[in-house]
Amino acid sequence: MSDARNDRGQGAGDREERMLTVTIDGRAAKAREGAYVLEAARAAGVEIPTLCHHEALEPYGGCRLCVVDVTKAEWGGWCKMVISCQYPVEEGLIVLTDSERVRETRRVVLDLLLARCPETPLVQRLAREHGIERTSYVANGEPTDCILCALCTRICDHIGVSAIATVDRGIGRQVAPPYHEPPPDCIGCLACAEICPTSFIQYQTSDRSRTIWGKTFEMLRCSSCGRAHITVAEAGHFAGRGGVPKSYFETCDVCKRKQMSATFAQLAAAMPVTPVVG
Amino acid sequence: MEMIYKVSVERCIACGKCELACAFGHGSEGNPAKTRINIHRRGPELGTPVVCFQCADASCAGVCPTAAIARNEATGALEVIEERCILCRMCIAACPFGNMLWDEPYHRVAKCDLCGGEPKCVPFCPTGALTYVPAEEANRRPEPLVREVA
Repeated sequence: MSDARNDRGQGAGDREERMLTVTIDGRAAKAREGAYVLEAARAAGVEIPTLCHHEALEPYGGCRLCVVDVTKAEWGGWCKMVISCQYPVEEGLIVLTDSERVRETRRVVLDLLLARCPETPLVQRLAREHGIERTSYVANGEPTDCILCALCTRICDHIGVSAIATVDRGIGRQVAPPYHEPPPDCIGCLACAEICPTSFIQYQTSDRSRTIWGKTFEMLRCSSCGRAHITVAEAGHFAGRGGVPKSYFETCDVCKRKQMSATFAQLAAAMPVTPVVG
Repeated sequence: MEMIYKVSVERCIACGKCELACAFGHGSEGNPAKTRINIHRRGPELGTPVVCFQCADASCAGVCPTAAIARNEATGALEVIEERCILCRMCIAACPFGNMLWDEPYHRVAKCDLCGGEPKCVPFCPTGALTYVPAEEANRRPEPLVREVA
């Protein structure tokens, strides 16, 4: 237990972080040097809409919904529009997240997105929040739920699998496995489907098998009860990571709790029980 | 003062109040099946509460591909940062004690987070099987529970 205590407190104080002063929507805020405007704004309680942003991934700049106006006192009234997820904060930066120019730009982005995905509830809701009921462009004749945010391909890259990618370009751009065939590298972890903001990526899963991207996986079933949380391929990919041996994956959480409580029960049985004869 | 969440198995009477308190504390259903502390019932009024150990070298945090399980320096608890979690469920598979849980109504992984330093199960425990005590007192042997025998 002493190790546990020593581990605490490390990390945070290793590096002294310089804090910068910025102004967000008229309010002064402190922001970590190296932070992007989006992070600084959210830390200050200012909400900026995003579709392609995820805390676990590097900023991508794909959805263009997080646009803001930035300026500085010494810029003489000149301001520029940037995407807040990839614009680092600077000392004295003045950020406007809700100016008419910003709102109009977001409306155009959402109008276009609604033309691409006219039947997608998330896009419809965001568009409605920005005053758009119906797209002013020609709605896509073959509606899709994919907004091309690339969260799925980026998370797949992030976990070191890279089974899917965005392919083609322009209006033909889409997310797909190589040659549109069941991806040989896929481990069936469902990270792409779970991170997808519009639930576009379909899958079927049970304690026996899981199917995604046209590939079927065998599940790693609990050796005593048959319950399964992960696929065999997933266990193979993650075994050894963080010093976790594959043997840890072989029993499900419920059965592991039973095993642990049995161990405790043995220890407790060794403790004296004081009976009261009543 | 550093506090330790202490489970005294020999004092548990398997009443299930901790499970209910936990379920209510972390969700709106109060469904005891969704608790993060699980009593393994091994006889009449005999239970073993099973709850996260907040391991120093934790498998759940080690296996996580997005570093979504991190130590809360104030409480010492390992907490799931939901904004970083990608729901791959590797932590559930990796915890050797079965203390990472899947919470379906909320579609998320769940674990004991010590309720941010005020574990809600503790005040509900009628026998003192669950206590939250200063670290210096944690290694004190619990008083044996006086149990009625028929």
